[in-house]
Parts: sequence; C-alpha cells; structure tokens
Amino acid sequence: MGSVNADSNGNRRRIRYVVAGLWQFATRRRTTAVALGILLCLLLLAAVGPYVAPFDADELRVTDRLQPPNRTHLLGTDHFGRDILSRALQGTRITLLLGVSISAFALCVGLPLGMLAGFFDRFGLVVMRVVDAIMAFPAIILALALMAILGKPGIPNVVLAIGLVWAPRMIRVVYSATLALRESVFVEAARALGANTSRILLRHIAINLISPVIVQTTFTFAFSIMEVAALNFLGVGIPPHVASWGGMMNEGKTYVIRAPWIILFPGLFLATAVLSFNLVGDALRDRLDPKLRGVA
Amino acid sequence: MLTFVARRAVGLVVSTLLVITITFLLMQMIPGDPASVMLGSNATPEQIERLRDTWGLNEPIYGQFVQYIVNFLQGNLGESLFHHKPVLGIIGQRAETSLWLGLAALIVVVGLGIPAGVLASIRPNGLTDNIMLLVALAGASIPSFWLGLMLMTLFAGHLGWLPSSGFTSILETGNLGNLRNLILPAFSLGFVNAALVARTARSSMLDVLQADYITTARAKGLREWGVIMKHAFRNASIPIVTVISFTFASLLSGAVVTESVFALPGVGSLIVQSVLKRDYPVIQGVMFVVAVLYVVVNFLTDLSYALLDPRIRYR
Repeated sequence: MGSVNADSNGNRRRIRYVVAGLWQFATRRRTTAVALGILLCLLLLAAVGPYVAPFDADELRVTDRLQPPNRTHLLGTDHFGRDILSRALQGTRITLLLGVSISAFALCVGLPLGMLAGFFDRFGLVVMRVVDAIMAFPAIILALALMAILGKPGIPNVVLAIGLVWAPRMIRVVYSATLALRESVFVEAARALGANTSRILLRHIAINLISPVIVQTTFTFAFSIMEVAALNFLGVGIPPHVASWGGMMNEGKTYVIRAPWIILFPGLFLATAVLSFNLVGDALRDRLDPKLRGVA
Repeated sequence: MLTFVARRAVGLVVSTLLVITITFLLMQMIPGDPASVMLGSNATPEQIERLRDTWGLNEPIYGQFVQYIVNFLQGNLGESLFHHKPVLGIIGQRAETSLWLGLAALIVVVGLGIPAGVLASIRPNGLTDNIMLLVALAGASIPSFWLGLMLMTLFAGHLGWLPSSGFTSILETGNLGNLRNLILPAFSLGFVNAALVARTARSSMLDVLQADYITTARAKGLREWGVIMKHAFRNASIPIVTVISFTFASLLSGAVVTESVFALPGVGSLIVQSVLKRDYPVIQGVMFVVAVLYVVVNFLTDLSYALLDPRIRYR
C-alpha cells in the first residue's frame, strides 16, 4: 500500500510541477497571457459557437440584406441578409479544424523525414535538395497549383495542398536541429554504450526535438490559417456555401465600399487568431529554446 | 571571387533542373490522361492522339521527361487551353503590371522598413522602438488582402483620393499617371514585409552598434550620424539584404492575392484565373517562371553578400 501511495504522491507532485510551469509560462508576460486568453476564447467559440449564435449561419433573409451593425445583427448582415456574427462563429470552427489538420499533416511528414535526413548524410543530401526546390515555389502559388491538380475544392484537398506547402519547412527545422543534436556529447555517449541507431533516434534525438517542433508547429498553424483564408478568398479553397472567414471576405468584396463590415469583421477574427498564435509561438520560442531567439 | 561565382552558378543550374522536375512530377499527378484532361470533354480522339504525340506521351516516362526539359529550356512552355496562345507570350503580356507592382512594393518595403529599423535601434526600448514593435507584430498578422480591401474602402471609397482598381500599361500608353493605381496595392503588399525588414534592421543594427570599432569611431570624434550610417549600417546590412531577398518571395506570393483584390492584370491574377479554369499549361508555366525568378534572386543575393563582405568570397 505504502509504495502505491508514494507513487501516486510522486505523480501528483509531478503534475503539480507541470501545472506550475505552465502557469508561470502563461502569466510571466502580459502579452502571452492575453494571447493565450484569446486562443482559449477562440477554442470555446469553435466548440459552442453554432449553439450560441443569434441566427442560423446559412439562413437567407433578403429583406435584411446589407444592414450595418445594429442591435439585432451585432456585426451587420451580408448581401443575402445572413448574420455576419453567426457566420464568423461558424467560420471559427472550420478555421481551427483546418489549422490543426494542416499542422498535424506537416508534423507527421516533416518530423520523420527531417530526422532521417539529419541523421543519414546521403539521404539528407537528396531530401534537402528537393526541399530547397519545393521552397523555390512561393507558398500560395504552390497551394493554388496543388488545388488545381487535386481537383474539386474541399476540406481534405485544402489540408493536403497547404500541408504539402508547410511540410518542407518543418523538414528543414527538424533537419538542422537533428544535425546539431547528432554531434552532441550525449549521443556520442549513447553510441559508446552500444545503443543502436533507432534507439538513438527515438530516445535521444526525438525527445530533444520537441521544443523546436512545438515552436514551428505554432507558426505553421498561424501561417496555414492565413493561407486557408487566402485560398478561400480566391474562391479555390473549401466550397463557397460553407461559412469561412476567407470565403465571407470573397463574397463581400463586391460590396466593400457600400458594406465594408462584411469584410471588416471576418478579417478582424482572422488577424486576432493569427496574432495570438504568433505571440504564443514567440513566447514558446523564448521559453523553450533561448538559442533560437531571433532566428526564424 | 570567380570560383565563388562559378560554384553558385552550378547551384543555380541544379536548382533550375529540380524546379523543372517538380513541375513535371506535379503535372503527372493530374488524375487521368493529361492530354484528354487538358483538352477538355469536347475533344475528339484524333485531337487527343495528336496532343499525345506532340507531348511525346506515347514514349516511356524518361523520354517524356527529357522532351519536357528540352522544351522548357527552349522557352516552349506549351499553349493555353483557353486562349490558344503560347504560355510564355501570355505571361509576357502580364509581366509588366507585376513588375511595376513588385517594384513599387519593394520601394515601400525598403523605404519604410530600413529607416524605421535604424531609428528604432538608436534608442532601444524607446518610444519609437515600442511603436515599431507593435506595428511589426500587427503587420505580421494582418492578411494583405484584408488590408488592401480596407485601404480601398477608405482611400478609394470614402475619401475618393485614389483609384480603387485596374491598371493600364505604362509602356503602351506612356502615361506615368497610371502608377497612381498601384499606390494602394503596393502599400498593402509592402506593409507586412516592411515590418519584417524593420525588425531585422533593428536587431542587426543593435548587434553592430556594440562592436569595438563603433566605440573607436566615436572616440575618434566622428559625428553620431556618420558613425551610424558609415560604420554601423554597412556592417549591419547583410542580414537586411537576406531578409529583403526573402521579402521578394513573399512579395511574389502576396502579389497573387493583391492583384486579385485590385483587379490588376498581372501574373498573379493570371494564375488564379487559370486555376479556376483548370488551364494546366498556364499554371505550370507561371510556376516555372516564378520559381526560376526566385532561384535567380537567391543567386544574386549570394553574390551581393560577397560584395558587402569581402570575407565571404574566400569561404
């Protein structure tokens, strides 16, 4: 019994330690706290948004079209009389969903490939040449071409197109971190103790890649939701009838001078989300890896 | 210096070949037979067979690839499915607008970014520095198309100071006044990057201003402005040049969206229209031209390092 208690005590202490660390990270700088607060709000809105939205996001009310912000429609209505606030809330969910999927995709492709490229010289030479060549294509142009090649607009294709744009950037970050780790003393020690390659990669290198990878994932998230919005704005992202921030701005651009609120508010949602992700990313970078400060 | 240039030139050629390979592979990913996809559903079997022949699609894949590279190196990027004109010619017609826009945006980037960064570095954590930090953060998070639309509402809509969209050739009409149409697009495109350049200029200047030779220069009794411009700025310029060359890539990206917002007839709006129409040869051609441009700019950036810092030539 005693040993079980000691174990759970140890676990509790460890959890308390982690929570204290997170709390310290969240509150040490005011900007980080604000950014994390905004992110939590966005998550909450994504979860409950459609239930608390004042109107149905897709309901057309032609009599209410192009209304400026007022008491009934807090953020106004678009050219079909749809409520901007309700649509923006709906867009929050799809944006976060896409951001998570794209970051996960970039991570799943970038982490293993980057590690292997950093560890095995010849493989690395080939992979990094290809990565460099892919990065010669500006992000949005590559994403547009991929959308054209993949066929129909739709969520899976958007994830694939933008994921393929960001995976090479993840590979590059993991690659250069692995190169440095490979030469470190603890890897040499592990090798001297007779550890095989897979053990070194998984137990000694992968663990130490967590910090740069978390930081890069945050930035991938921020950039990818901006790119999703750009694709939707250009009309080649997800189908136009699904409410998204970029899609709303696309539909509103014809009315921009008469009814700027159609574009103003989705853009503010987007800018706020991107800004808070960038702030959290910066703070994480400073916290996790002081060496990386001011690099990317 | 000559070996330095030669080595970089080899890299340039390798990168260009890889870019061609990637566009080739991407076009292989189009589901179905490329010839029938490219000709659309109204094509007759004879037309499809003829196109398969001209593209060498009946040959094995490595034969196709060799043919593809030869075509590209000869400047034959294929023919548009909709305009029935050579792709290179179409891109050429659109290039003027994009070049003016790029140039104007670059002026915004350099003209706003560098002075702002240098000013911020003179008194770190001062008022200018903090305002700069705030603007830079906002600049990195605001989508350029949204900024463009908002500027359009304000300056073209409410104030009526500037035209809201469109652009006509300056080379054909000889009318420099057309540049007015590019003020709003260039600002919305350049602003984001100006923020980035300002941050880099600031941190690079701060590094250099602590060097011993700056102390020496001050001790010699040089005027502060002379120290900053002549001694600090030139030595701080390498990271700034790097970031401006990155900026170039992001200007290329941003131009796609900005040209669509302001209805400018440039290469960026060309690729968007081609994607919407599935005009694959044009998409492929634009990708190729833009990537090669990017590779060449990187090459020139490397050369400029050697000019700015003589030590790099011998590495």
